[in-house]
Amino acid sequence: MTVSRAARQAGEPAGRSRGAAPGLFAAPAVDDALAFRTIASHRACTCGDEDPIDRDIAPFLPPRLRPLITQLPQEQKARLVELRLRVGRPLAAVLRGDGQWFISAQGLVRHPAAAESVTADDGARLLAAVSRSSVYALEDAFRQGYVTLPGGHRVGFCGEAAVEAGDLRTWRHVASFNIRIARAVPGAADAVLPRLVAAGGRIRHTLVVSPPACGKTTLLRDLARQISWGVPSLGLAGQAVAIVDERSEIAACRDGIPQHDVGPCTDVCDRCPKAPGMLLMIRAMAPRVLVTDELGTPADAAAVLEAVHAGVSVVASAHGASWEEVARRPALAPLVQNGAFERAVILSRRRGPGTVEAILDLAPRAGGSARRPPSGSTGRQVGQGTVINQPVGQ
Amino acid sequence: MASQLGAALVLATAGLLGAVVARTYQERPRVLRALQAALTMLATEISYAATPLPEALRRVARHTPAAVAAFFEEVSRELEQNPGAPAGEVWRRAVAARRGWCLTAEDEAVLLDLGGYLGRSSAADQERHLRLALAQLGRLQAEAEAQRDTQVRLWRYLGLCVGGCLVLLLY
Repeated sequence: MTVSRAARQAGEPAGRSRGAAPGLFAAPAVDDALAFRTIASHRACTCGDEDPIDRDIAPFLPPRLRPLITQLPQEQKARLVELRLRVGRPLAAVLRGDGQWFISAQGLVRHPAAAESVTADDGARLLAAVSRSSVYALEDAFRQGYVTLPGGHRVGFCGEAAVEAGDLRTWRHVASFNIRIARAVPGAADAVLPRLVAAGGRIRHTLVVSPPACGKTTLLRDLARQISWGVPSLGLAGQAVAIVDERSEIAACRDGIPQHDVGPCTDVCDRCPKAPGMLLMIRAMAPRVLVTDELGTPADAAAVLEAVHAGVSVVASAHGASWEEVARRPALAPLVQNGAFERAVILSRRRGPGTVEAILDLAPRAGGSARRPPSGSTGRQVGQGTVINQPVGQ
Repeated sequence: MASQLGAALVLATAGLLGAVVARTYQERPRVLRALQAALTMLATEISYAATPLPEALRRVARHTPAAVAAFFEEVSRELEQNPGAPAGEVWRRAVAARRGWCLTAEDEAVLLDLGGYLGRSSAADQERHLRLALAQLGRLQAEAEAQRDTQVRLWRYLGLCVGGCLVLLLY
């Protein structure tokens, strides 16, 4: 999803400037969904030619507002990143690379006064729809702040909180909805994966490092998918992958079933805290590769060490702008000192989300320090299948 | 010969009409009991398992007698087909569409009240509303049983008697 934004920004500066004119409808843009589809080697089984908005989102929208969104031109729908419904306020949308728009019966408008308002009834219907008429079943989701729709789309919400013992128990009234449209980017890991495969098709222990919103999760998801399906051109046979998806972002499960294509041999431990989740998956599902997002606590680090020593390849991510920064984080220091990881993939959004700054070859286990890549080389952007990284030090 | 046949027909028809009315009195407590069992099951599904409503209703439908099962089945199917429709509305339409399940307007009012709250609040609150509906249905059932004991025999005999009178008057 984030990488797709990079591709668009790189490919279409003209589209953005045209779209920025106030009061105009959004500028037409090349259908990038098509571009991604050409990259896709294996798509989720739910995939059709239909736009995800029409297929996944529209059935949940309040009937009054549904046509306003389904009638948008296809190229605008393809760029829709967020739909925002705030009770009593105008219906808003965020387009990729194009900022905030409002939706009226005539299409997208820049000015909120011209837009269609969201009524309390619309809000109630949306809540009923996303909860499948079962607000009582949402109590966990309320605490998390979002529900996942089929297709992996997220609906976040807030309103008047009901607090119990200092903690959010539930929402008494929900007034704001943010529907975030998920677009998995099959092929996002194309440029990275070859660097992570060791002799015999073993996946190296890898840490993906970047600040937030640089495409970590997108990369992890596609790594899981490709490893699970196997990549014959890399001599990589499909192997059992376990995803510990604490925030339900990698696989975007609904009822425990992944809504993104994460591969045929992938088990997902959804919404479970990472440390117990990792140990459970190793014990119960016997994976060859363990994928998890955002290591941050000493317990996470201990679980990763456990997995590394159990002979399971670990592919994880952590927040940080550079490898040095990660190495300084107290919770992750033990991992660095133990040389748990063999590769570090550093991402940034220097050229849009998903820019691979470097793939570091970390010193052998005993050494414990990272070897810098040759200076002077620059990272290149992950986008529509372009190649990407800098040479890995041998 | 023809007059004897006619007399028999008149008698049979009147007797049948009486039996039909008697049957509604007989059926009502049965349906009410089935409804209570179903709602108790629904309360458990909601408060213990937090099963989403369409699925909870389908499970309930699987374990209740046919007349009531069809109702829950219908609500469940409708909710699954249009996820945007409020459960209260679907529930009300299903109650209105259900003819011939021998419930009185009073019984249906309890169901309609419940429908307005269904799926719209926390599990604890849902359980409260379900308990309330169950208590009301329990009271109505006691009433329906008392009625049954007096009315069933009455209507059966009444049908036959009216038939007999008609035969005597006509022939």
